[in-house]
Order: sequence, then structure tokens, then C-alpha cells
Amino acid sequence: MVQRLELMKGSSESLLLCLIGRQPMYGYQIIKELEKRSQGYFKFKEGTLYPALHRLEKSGLIEGKWEMLPSGRQRRYYHITEKGNKLLEEKITQWQDFLYAMNLIIRPATP
Amino acid sequence: MVTSLSRYLDDIRNNLRLDAADENEVINELQSHIEDEFQEMRDAGLSEEEAAASCIKFFGSAALIARQIYETHSQGTWKQALLASLPHMLFALLFILNWWQGVGWLVITLGVVLAMALYGWLHGRPVWLFPWRGYYFIPVLLAGILLLYLPAGWSWVAIIIYLPLVAVLVWSVTVKTVKRDWLYSALMTLPVPIVIGWFLAAGKEGEFLKVNLEYLGYFAPGIGLSFLALAATTIAFIRLRQRWLRGILLLLSGFLSLIMVTYYSEGRIGLPLFLGLTLTMLIVLLSPAVVDRRIRRNKQTSG
Repeated sequence: MVQRLELMKGSSESLLLCLIGRQPMYGYQIIKELEKRSQGYFKFKEGTLYPALHRLEKSGLIEGKWEMLPSGRQRRYYHITEKGNKLLEEKITQWQDFLYAMNLIIRPATP
Repeated sequence: MVTSLSRYLDDIRNNLRLDAADENEVINELQSHIEDEFQEMRDAGLSEEEAAASCIKFFGSAALIARQIYETHSQGTWKQALLASLPHMLFALLFILNWWQGVGWLVITLGVVLAMALYGWLHGRPVWLFPWRGYYFIPVLLAGILLLYLPAGWSWVAIIIYLPLVAVLVWSVTVKTVKRDWLYSALMTLPVPIVIGWFLAAGKEGEFLKVNLEYLGYFAPGIGLSFLALAATTIAFIRLRQRWLRGILLLLSGFLSLIMVTYYSEGRIGLPLFLGLTLTMLIVLLSPAVVDRRIRRNKQTSG
């Protein structure tokens, strides 16, 4: 579990950008969506989510906007920015290269 | 909202120490999340107390969340850092270039301070305004010094009226600043022990608080240098994220500046005076923390 947390630390920015890049999301939705999509592998702790989101926002990678629900409640939806999209593309390429290289070692074509 | 959850959000708010607008935004966002989480647990069959306890457990320590969010928002931009250091730089220039003797330059400097104060006030009192606030007291200090030159007898009467008024003014400004963040209050008051040190170094022998202008001229480069050190400290303070680093920076800068004052005073500030100034510095820098603690305790008691 500790190892999984360590792995997540380095990739939390990419995970958040990836999710928000697909569609604007609010904090609670991000946690649920991440857990669902990763089939329970990734579990973001509520207390660490918001500092991470605010860091991304401060860096200009995402933008939070308050939206009013029909019930009268307000939610802060995060939208990816142009800068965030560019970084996301770079990160995806980096991850694909990394996974490809890892596979070459873990599952070599020739033993 | 359940009391324990409201108390939890209050705990986070009390530890955030951000601008009121930022604070509200953060708390509203967390509250919205907690409400969703709470509702989900209630739908799953948990009682109100159980659902609230689980929400708090999922979020974790209020102080930790507040600290992490503070560190995300606390770092000022380079523009803010430069704006915050500007008053110290102006006073450094005033002494290094020997403009302090010209009434025109003094008036211009005071005019700039007042204009910036007004500008900052109209722009939501940003973080760079805090060091400027310390300079609001210059006209008050000048008035106090002029009182010393009143005819014998009158000066003491005036000072007896003047000192309580100054105390009230200092207290109200400090409390207002502390409500935002006591560290900013300490940043605002950092020049106080250094200015007192220079006053004592350039003081007329045997005459309380009266300055020998000749000495002041002689010490001018040293005074300028100490204001430059204050400017550098302010820039570093605004750029740092962690509260503990900011605190250490202020203490270290105050202490080193006092060593600088003592060194340049060429023996006019001895060891007892240096120790007295160091004690004054500690009181000036740490008393906002005490005021902050008191305000928070009163708030908790009344809440």
C-alpha cells in the first residue's frame, strides 16, 4: 500500500489532468471517477485532493469555476486550460514511452 | 450541517490564514464536498454522527489540510515581492544617496507611502501592502520627536497625551494585521528594533531620543544597508511558502540587522544595549503571535 502511494505521488498531477481533460469535474466527482476508472486501484484521499487541485490551478493548468445547480447548491468545476492540455499531451507521451520500456523488460519478446 | 462537521470546517478556516475571499472560496468548496460525502453515507444507512465521523476521517487532520492549502496559496509573485520591498528600498536610497537631508525628498517619500497605502487599500489590501503599513507610523514618530522640542514642561504633558494615543493606534493596526496572519504583522514591525537601534546610535549624549544629525550623516551608508537587508528579507518572505521558514527568516534577519547596527555604531551601542535591542526585537516579532493566540482563544470561547 505504501509503495502504491509513492507511485501515486509522482503521477497524481497526470491523473488529475487526464480526468479533468476529458470533462470538467468537481472534487467529489474526481475522487469517485478515479476510483471507478482504475477499478479501485487509485484512491485519492480527500485531504490531499484539494491542495493538489489548487497547485494545478495556481500553475495555470486548470481553472476552477463555480456553477449553480438546479437545487440552488454551488459546485466548483475544474476545467483544463490550453497550458494544461499541452502538458497533458507531453505527460501521456512520457507515460506511453515509460510503459513501453517497462514492458520490454517485464515481458520481453525473446526470453 | 452537523455540528462536528461545522466545527471541523471552522478548524480548517482558523488554520488557513489566507485572504478572506480566498478563505471563503476554499471553505465553500470543502463544504460542498463534505455535504456530498455525508449524503452518500446517509443514503448507505449510516446515522448522522457516524456519517460525520467518517467524513472527518476521510478528510484527515484539519491542520494538515489547512497547511497544505496555505502553502499552495502563500507564495507571492515576484511582482508582489518587489512591491512589498519597495518602501525599504526607498528608505535605503534616501540614506545611501544622502537625500535624507533634503526636505523635498522626505516629502516625496512620504507622499509615495501614502499613495501606495491608498492604492493598496482600494485594491483589496494585498499581501505586498503589509511592509508599507509599517511606514504609516513615520508621521506619528515624527510628531512624537517634534513634541520633544516644545518648551520645557509642555513636552512632557504632550507626551503623556501622545503615548496612549500611539499605543491605541499601534494596537488597532496590529490587531487588524494579525487577523490576516501574525507573520505578516511581524514582517510589518521588523524595522522597529532596527530603527530604534539607529536612533540610539545617533542619539545626543544625555538627551533622550534627540538625534545628532552629524552622527546620522556619518551612519547614513550603514542605515541604507540595513534597509536594503530589510528589502531582501521582504522579497524572500513573500517568495517562501512554509510558515516555519518565514518565521526563521524574520528572526535571523532581525538579529543580523542588529549586529550590523552595532558594528556600524562604532562602540556607541555596547553589549547591554545590544542585548536590550535583541530583547525588543523578540518582543516586537513574537507579540503578534501572542495577540493572534488570544484572538483565536476569545473566538473559540465566544463560538
